[in-house]
Amino acid sequence: MLKIKNLNASYGSKKVLRNLNFEIKKGDITAIVGESGTGKTTLALSIMGLLSEEHDIKRISGNILFNGTNICSATRKELSRIRWKKISMVFQNIDNILNPTVSVYKQISEILNGKNDNSKIKNMLERVGFPSDRADAYPCQLSMGEKQKALIAMAYISEPELVILDEPTSSLDSETKNILTEVIKKLSSKKTVILLTHDLDTVKRMSEKTMVLYGGSIVESGPTKKIFSNPRHPYTRGLIRSYPSPDRTKDLQGIRGSSEFVDTGCPFWPRCTQSINICKVYRPPLKKYGDTMLACHRGGIIPLLNIENISKSYRNLEVLKSVYLSVYEGETVTLLGKSGSGKTTLAKIIMGLLKPDIGYIYLENNKIEKWDAGFYKKVQMIFQEVESAVSHRLNVIDAVMEPMLIHREKDKPEIIEKAKEVLSEVELPTDSNFLHLYPHHLSGGELQRVVIARALILSPKLLIADEPTSSLDASIQAKILKLLNRIQEERGLGMLFITHDLGVARKVSDRILKLKNGIITEERLK
Amino acid sequence: MHISIRKNLKKDKSARAGLIIFIMILLISATAPFFIKDPEAFSKIILSRPSITSILGTNDLGQDILSRLIYGLRTSVFVAISAGLLATLLSVIIGVIAGFTGGLVDEVIMRIIDAMLVIPSIIILILISAFIKPDIISLVILIALFRWQVGARIIRGETLAIKQKIHIYSARTFGAGKAYLLKRHIIPDLGNIIMASFLQNARSAVFLEAGMAFIGISSLSSISLGTIMHNALEFYYLPVWLWWLLPSGIMLSLVLVSFTLLSNLIEKVIDPRLKDA
Repeated sequence: MLKIKNLNASYGSKKVLRNLNFEIKKGDITAIVGESGTGKTTLALSIMGLLSEEHDIKRISGNILFNGTNICSATRKELSRIRWKKISMVFQNIDNILNPTVSVYKQISEILNGKNDNSKIKNMLERVGFPSDRADAYPCQLSMGEKQKALIAMAYISEPELVILDEPTSSLDSETKNILTEVIKKLSSKKTVILLTHDLDTVKRMSEKTMVLYGGSIVESGPTKKIFSNPRHPYTRGLIRSYPSPDRTKDLQGIRGSSEFVDTGCPFWPRCTQSINICKVYRPPLKKYGDTMLACHRGGIIPLLNIENISKSYRNLEVLKSVYLSVYEGETVTLLGKSGSGKTTLAKIIMGLLKPDIGYIYLENNKIEKWDAGFYKKVQMIFQEVESAVSHRLNVIDAVMEPMLIHREKDKPEIIEKAKEVLSEVELPTDSNFLHLYPHHLSGGELQRVVIARALILSPKLLIADEPTSSLDASIQAKILKLLNRIQEERGLGMLFITHDLGVARKVSDRILKLKNGIITEERLK
Repeated sequence: MHISIRKNLKKDKSARAGLIIFIMILLISATAPFFIKDPEAFSKIILSRPSITSILGTNDLGQDILSRLIYGLRTSVFVAISAGLLATLLSVIIGVIAGFTGGLVDEVIMRIIDAMLVIPSIIILILISAFIKPDIISLVILIALFRWQVGARIIRGETLAIKQKIHIYSARTFGAGKAYLLKRHIIPDLGNIIMASFLQNARSAVFLEAGMAFIGISSLSSISLGTIMHNALEFYYLPVWLWWLLPSGIMLSLVLVSFTLLSNLIEKVIDPRLKDA
């Protein structure tokens, strides 16, 4: 029904839409999601044929085929035959969408070309829940919700084939939102709908298909359920993580940086935590992965760590029985279990401090044969025993520099600078007084931060945190957990978080794995 | 667990006394040749009482007793330091290798140490010495060869304990190799134990050297407190023992006491529970 081919649009030198290619089938409700400024409204306007005729700063190229008619090259006459009759749109409800000098009733009837079809209008107003006695009111006399209802009524009154909803519910309170979502769902049966929004809750409730738009390109698309339950593009995951959904227990995390249009490479690379060189140069094509489409050079969020079939026993005591586990880039997996359940044993096996009886460990899909300096640059561990994790002979700066001195890749002044940088990243002072304190001078929270700084200075991709807060009081624990969360957002750090505390686990994890009797079972986060 | 020897030294009077005696002994031994008469020079005045020319009188060969005592002290200090260092070096190398490597190496080393410990080393020492009449250097080597085992055992145990400490694990997970671990963590962490072991070895080296000289089985080419006492004992029936035998005994005791007091301090530093005792 709607086919978009190589669609490009730019405002001056700023490219807003890049090479969009997609197709929308009749009867589908397709959501296009993305942050503000990713080109959603521009896309809507170009489908409405509103972009081509405005000032020529907005250049548009490519084809938008609506039932065979190319909207991009259509004449005004052709457009007027389609617009509002075949394709209608609910504009983003900002105050100046409705004409302030014309009553609502009149504005709706305008769409029906002045035909004063009273019963039809009344019926429509009733269906959207607009109080019919207020139909003669002027826009300034209406509430936000009422205005939105009026806009929806306008879009549906002409029984169009395709409706574009641009942020239909985002500025409304949740009750009105619920009502309107239901209204739209009812109105949209047997219609083709494009839903443009950043409101993921609405997307989940209304659409069957979702496309994720970033920087004018589609980065991921597929069935809505799949996209939400198993996002593969880092941007999609970032969007879901920053959305306060009611069944989410982990703290909100944003996406680092701010959205900007880049000319070459993947549109998301400056903010992506797993970008590699190729991401900066070539734009990834949209490729099919099962029933979803994904544009990512790395094939979506990469698995950092895979553990396969690890078993370990101490004499007769079987601690781990054929354990499988994986940690993806930028996610926190919590290993939950009571003390003595083998959590630390597993951590030590991953770190190469213990040898498993059988089983393999893969880092970024490479099997680990020996634990060398290269491995430890990528994987770091925070030990449970904070008090003794730093030698009593090392002061703060020496302790933080130690990992870099071991790797001997830089000169000392550079290492000192780097150490200070990391210390301020973990929110510790960097004055010379503090730098020369010894571990026994520091409080538990400070020492834990020093230990975290030590683990971060090598810029690892995976951090194993073994009960990092169990010795701290609740308020300091909260700060440390927030800190880890923030560091994860900025660095895309994969984290294997080991704890016995379910409350903490729910607060930090994307996934919770329960370790009991040497067996790992996945917990549903609800 | 940050511990400082200096802080403990300030609080501990007996340790301070030990340190002062030790420093004085060192000073006297170092500067002796500049103000002391030749200890080997003979004179016709034999077995004289203390006088202005010879403060502690002369011996049966007319040699100045004080000069000989101070030269004997020098020998003791030399033996203490060199045998102490050598034995401790052996203890550290062997103990750390056993503890750090573990496994078969550890097993073999420990059995050798056990075997050597059950043989009474003093008897073997006396037998060998009686046979080869060792000069001072070979005596030092001999003493060191029979004194490193206890230290090695302690250091091996301590290395095993340090190896399991979290900061060692941390360093390992930063990618540190064995050399780094030994240099930056294990040896420094052993510091106090090594110090204690050195003092113990030094003390028993002084005692062994004096003892063997006293029973007359070490070479007579060097002047030793033990030899002096051995010679003095022949004249015990004369009042000469008062300024010959007694001062040499006191001198030897002072050396031993200073080492004992200092090693007590180190032991307290290592094990804070001893502080109140």
